[in-house]
Amino acid sequence: MAANQETLYIKGDRDVEVTKTDITLGDIVSMECSNKEVIPKLKAMKILKIPDNGRQRFVISILKIIACIHEKYPNMDVQNLGETDIIITYENQKTKGMASHLIKIGFVSVLTFVGAAFSIMAFNNDVSIVKLFSKIYKFMTGAAPQGWSILEVSYSVGITIGILLFFNHFGKKKFTVDPTPLEVQMRTYENEIQTTLVENASRRGEELDVGTSNYIGTHRS
Amino acid sequence: MLVRQIILALIGLSAGVAVAGGLFAFIIELGVIADFADRTHTGEKILLYEDCTALGGIIGNLVYIFHIRIPFGNVLLLPFGLLVGIFVGCWAMALAEILNVFPIFIRRLKVTRYITAFVLSMALGRGLGALLFFVKGW
Repeated sequence: MAANQETLYIKGDRDVEVTKTDITLGDIVSMECSNKEVIPKLKAMKILKIPDNGRQRFVISILKIIACIHEKYPNMDVQNLGETDIIITYENQKTKGMASHLIKIGFVSVLTFVGAAFSIMAFNNDVSIVKLFSKIYKFMTGAAPQGWSILEVSYSVGITIGILLFFNHFGKKKFTVDPTPLEVQMRTYENEIQTTLVENASRRGEELDVGTSNYIGTHRS
Repeated sequence: MLVRQIILALIGLSAGVAVAGGLFAFIIELGVIADFADRTHTGEKILLYEDCTALGGIIGNLVYIFHIRIPFGNVLLLPFGLLVGIFVGCWAMALAEILNVFPIFIRRLKVTRYITAFVLSMALGRGLGALLFFVKGW
């Protein structure tokens, strides 16, 4: 601690996953300071000790983290450039076995396949598309169609084109550099979950913040 | 005659593209598949799930339109029904969720506890409703 008035910039992600019980500052945020010497010390600074009983979640306020830094370096000017509330998810065993993972992936794949197939069939059924096609055919040509016609074929081609255009990729091949709709949706979903977690914790007074006297271990699950 | 066939082809093609865009936007935006991926912690495989959804849409449509016979149909019926049930169940609930049905009811009726019971009874009600519908042939 040579010069005292230094600025420390910290930036943290909103969602941090850890697999150990002793959480240091370096696990939660990335840091930058003109005094390079303090960074390793800060990185090793202990912030949280998680009792080892399975998977659990904590929401920690950035103020608490800054308070921890100030305890050791009272004159440090801390600037937060990242999130204001950080979710820490602790899972003692990250790898739960490849087999169950593969089964889950297989299950969801089959589920989405069957679900999508059913949805399109239900839609076609709902609007009586076969009847509608034969009406359009009769309207255009004056004769009733024998079996299926060009309409059914082109409709199926159109469905294929529409789906591929919508999803913007097939297999590993992407048609443009944009993220696919499901990727966007996935991020939206994650963001909503994270916001809910933070707000729930703060409403129940479980957030680890300055001025609250909650300790790890009194945590309700 | 050929001109009419070409016009018909154009109608079919546009109808297909429009339906595919609409229906799949509906499925994706409701977040059913994102929810599956999140629940099973397999978020890194969403591209695969997208492929499966796309294939399901394409093949399902072909099967419906051209009445394609599926081998081992009898054996496949049970898993097919089960999976469709799961999918539609999630879909229906996602729809209710998107339309903010739960927050509104919970706020209006001031239900703050036992929301799980609320959800459970809704699930059972839906199951019972579906069963009645089929058994009675409504």
